Amino acid sequence: MSDIYDASQVAVEELQARAVARRHTWLLVLDLLFGAVAILLVLAFFFYLYAFRQLLLLYLPVFLDGTRITVLISLASVIFAVVFGLIGVAGRLSRFSVLRWLATLYVEVVRGTPILVQLLLWYYGVATALTQMSIDPYRLVYSLATTLQMNSLFQDPNFDPYLFGIIGLSFNYGAYLTEVFRSGILSVERGQTEAGLSLGLNSGQIMRHIIFPQAIRVVVPPFTNNFITLIQDSSLLSILGIVELEHQTFGLALPQVDPNNKMFVFIFGALFYLILCYPLSLLARYLEARIARAY
Amino acid sequence: MDLAARAFPALLLGAVNTVIYCVSSFPIALLLGLLLAVMASSRFIWFRAPARTFIEVIRGTPMIAQIFILYYGIGALLGVYGLAGLINAWTAGIISLAINYAAYEAEIFRAGLLSVDKGQTEAAYSLGLTGSQSFFRIVLPQAIPFMIPPFVNDFIYMLKDSAIVSVISGTELTSVLTFWVTRNTSDSFPLYFIAIVFYLLMSLPTSYIARLFERRLRAAF
Repeated sequence: MSDIYDASQVAVEELQARAVARRHTWLLVLDLLFGAVAILLVLAFFFYLYAFRQLLLLYLPVFLDGTRITVLISLASVIFAVVFGLIGVAGRLSRFSVLRWLATLYVEVVRGTPILVQLLLWYYGVATALTQMSIDPYRLVYSLATTLQMNSLFQDPNFDPYLFGIIGLSFNYGAYLTEVFRSGILSVERGQTEAGLSLGLNSGQIMRHIIFPQAIRVVVPPFTNNFITLIQDSSLLSILGIVELEHQTFGLALPQVDPNNKMFVFIFGALFYLILCYPLSLLARYLEARIARAY
Repeated sequence: MDLAARAFPALLLGAVNTVIYCVSSFPIALLLGLLLAVMASSRFIWFRAPARTFIEVIRGTPMIAQIFILYYGIGALLGVYGLAGLINAWTAGIISLAINYAAYEAEIFRAGLLSVDKGQTEAAYSLGLTGSQSFFRIVLPQAIPFMIPPFVNDFIYMLKDSAIVSVISGTELTSVLTFWVTRNTSDSFPLYFIAIVFYLLMSLPTSYIARLFERRLRAAF
C-alpha cells in the first residue's frame, strides 16, 4: 500500500517538476523574445536618429552649446545654493530665536511657492526695483571686474537674466539644501557632541572634526538628488531668456513646419537632459545603497 | 494698492484653476503610478522593463520639455490627422502633470508595497486567496497608510509645479501673475505678494494636515 502511495507520489512529483520545467522553458523563450524586441527597439531608435541625420548634424553644435550653458548655470547655481543652504542651516540651528524664525520663514516660503514665480520675482520684480533705485548690477560687476583686470569675462551686456536666474535658482535650492543639511547634522547623535565636549574640543572643532565627517555621508545622496532636479529646473531659466538647452530646443523646434521634424527636435533636446541626469541618478542610487548597507 | 485690488479677482480665479489642474491630474497620476509600480515589480520582464524605462525617462527629463513635447510636438502630429483640437492647454497640462507625477507616485507605491511584510501575502495564499484578491484585500489596504504622507507631499509639489502650465498659455495663478506683471512692471510687488500668499495658503495647510497624519500614524504603530 505504502509502495503504491510512494510510487504515485513520485509520479505526481515528476509530473509537477516537468510542468515547472515546461513553464520555465516558456519563460525563457519569453525572456529571449523580449531581448530580441528590446534590441529591435533600440535599433529602431537609432534608425530614428539616422532618419533625421541632416537635422541632427545641423543642430548638434547648437544643442551642445545649450548643454554647455545648462551645465555652467547648474554648477554656478549649486555652488551658491550650498552657500544659501549653509546660511539657512546656521540660522535654523542657531541659539537666537530671531535667526531661527527668519530661517524657518525662508525655508517655508521658498518651499511653498513655485520656483517659476520666484524666478519671475527676481528677474522682473527685484531687477525693476534695482533699476528704480538706479542700480545697474551689470555695471557694478563690470567695474568690479575691471579693477580685478578680468572684465573680459563679463563682455555680454545681457547679464541680468544670468545674474537673477542663478540667484533665483540657488535661492530656491538653498532652502531645500537647508533641510538636507539640517537632517544630516541632526542625524549625528547627541552623544557625539557630548563626547567631543568632554574631550575639551570647542564647538567649531566639534563641527569640523566630529559632526561634519559623519553628517556628510547622510547628506550626499539627497544632495545629489537635489542637484539632478536643479539641472532639470535650470530649464525654467529659458523663460527669462537665457539661451540654454531648453531655450535652444524650443527655439529650433517651434519654427519647424513638418510635425515630424518638430517632434524630433523636442525629443533630441530631451535626450540631452536624460544623458546629463541619468548617470547622476545612478550615482545617487549607488550612494544611497552604500549608506544603507553601512548601518 | 489700487492695482492689487484690480488684479485680486483674476489672481483668485487663477488660484482656483491651479487647484482644478491639480485635483484633476492627481488621481490620474495615482492610477498610472499604481499600474507602473505593479508592472515595475512584476516577475515578467515584458512588464518590468517598459515600466522602468518609462519611470527613468520621465524622471530624467525636465517637466518643461515634457509639456512642450506634448503640447507642441504631439499637438502638431495630431494636427496632421485633424485631431489638433484634442490638445489644448487644459488637456496638455493635466496629462503632462499626471504622467510626470505618475513616475514619482510609482516609486512611493513600490516602497509602500514593499513595506508590507511578505508573510501577509503568504498567509493570504495559504488561506486560498488568489493573487489579485491578496493584493487588493490584504497588501494594498495595509500599504496605504504608509503612502499617504508622501502622496500629500507630492500633491503640494504638484500645486507648485502646475505653474509650468503657464508656459503653454494655460490659465492658472502663475500665468495670471505674469499677465499682470508684464503690464505693470514698475509696481509689481503687491502682485507677487498676493500670488505668493495664495500659493502658501494652498500648500501650508495641506502640509500641516500631512504632518498631523504622519504623527498619528507613528503613534498607531
